[in-house]
Amino acid sequence: MRLLLESQDCYRNMAEDEALIKTKSEPTLRLYTWKPSAVSIGYFQSIKDEVDVNFCRKNGIDIVRRNTGGGAVFHDEKGELTYSLMYPLSEWNKLAESIGRDGNNIMETYRIVCNCLIIGLEKLGIEADFKPINDIETNGKKISGSAQTRREGYLLQHGTLLYSLNTKKMFRVLKVSDEKIRDKKIASAKERVTSITLQLGKVSFKSVVGAMILGFETGLKEKVKIGKLKKEEEEMLEKLAKEKYGCEWWNNQR
Amino acid sequence: MAVNGGTIKDKKSVKRIRELKIEGGKLIRCKIEVENGRIERILLSGDFFLYPEESITQLESELKGLKIDDRKSIKRVITKFFRGVEAVGITKEDLMKIILGNDRW
Repeated sequence: MRLLLESQDCYRNMAEDEALIKTKSEPTLRLYTWKPSAVSIGYFQSIKDEVDVNFCRKNGIDIVRRNTGGGAVFHDEKGELTYSLMYPLSEWNKLAESIGRDGNNIMETYRIVCNCLIIGLEKLGIEADFKPINDIETNGKKISGSAQTRREGYLLQHGTLLYSLNTKKMFRVLKVSDEKIRDKKIASAKERVTSITLQLGKVSFKSVVGAMILGFETGLKEKVKIGKLKKEEEEMLEKLAKEKYGCEWWNNQR
Repeated sequence: MAVNGGTIKDKKSVKRIRELKIEGGKLIRCKIEVENGRIERILLSGDFFLYPEESITQLESELKGLKIDDRKSIKRVITKFFRGVEAVGITKEDLMKIILGNDRW
């Protein structure tokens, strides 16, 4: 499996996932950060419902719609490690079968991929559990969220891992639904989320990346090899960033 | 029908936004505009998962024009829609509940 380590803006980050599928990429794991910080919203969400657009504009925070469902996420430039896994479905199904799971099944696939992160967290010394539908929790608090889609014969699952938490900024950027908090019976939204540094104290970002690489290698029983984008992939990425993810028609469609 | 300055006065348009909290922590939002008893605009949003994602536009356009009190037709459109998609975090029943609601229009 190819490994890509990257740091770029949100339009390129989201364009790259789609570009790799469109160019029929080999199985690829991306581990990356967002530069500058950004908010991504789910495919079915509406920016003005989820995001304080003025605050983002004033603070240089970009906003992008994902091509996956799920909720809005604040991606802090220095506070998050994000992953994307692109896999041809035929190969993914074989891989899933080899570990006794059904790769066609969306929930089972969440389980397989999230388990890689859980193994990675374990290597860092954090005990965490998969929390269906698409979260990972430690001590009852969310530390990771993922979203999955399948298109053009490919599995795409991407998600976050919170390294450090700027709760103040996060809840300033996102409009948090009161309804949601009430449901979880927790007084403050801040109590629902945690991060690696909150759990462990000082730990370098590099060691988190290393732990996650090991987590994916162990969980998928496959070695990774650091690679880079091919020319046609880079071209498709540029095109999608410019003509789709960076555009109003896409970001404001709902 | 009273026409005044080019606008039809008795045209009854009502906009509503409904929210439904669903199991597993997801939320569905439905912005619906009913004019003369028919769905004029409808926009479904939220943090659920539907595959293929693009199909939601098709559902919305099929709901458009239906009478809001024609529960049978609305249910039929939703049922047909769910036969063609895979949904996670949202069910047929959730969608019916939020679109049909209990409001009087």
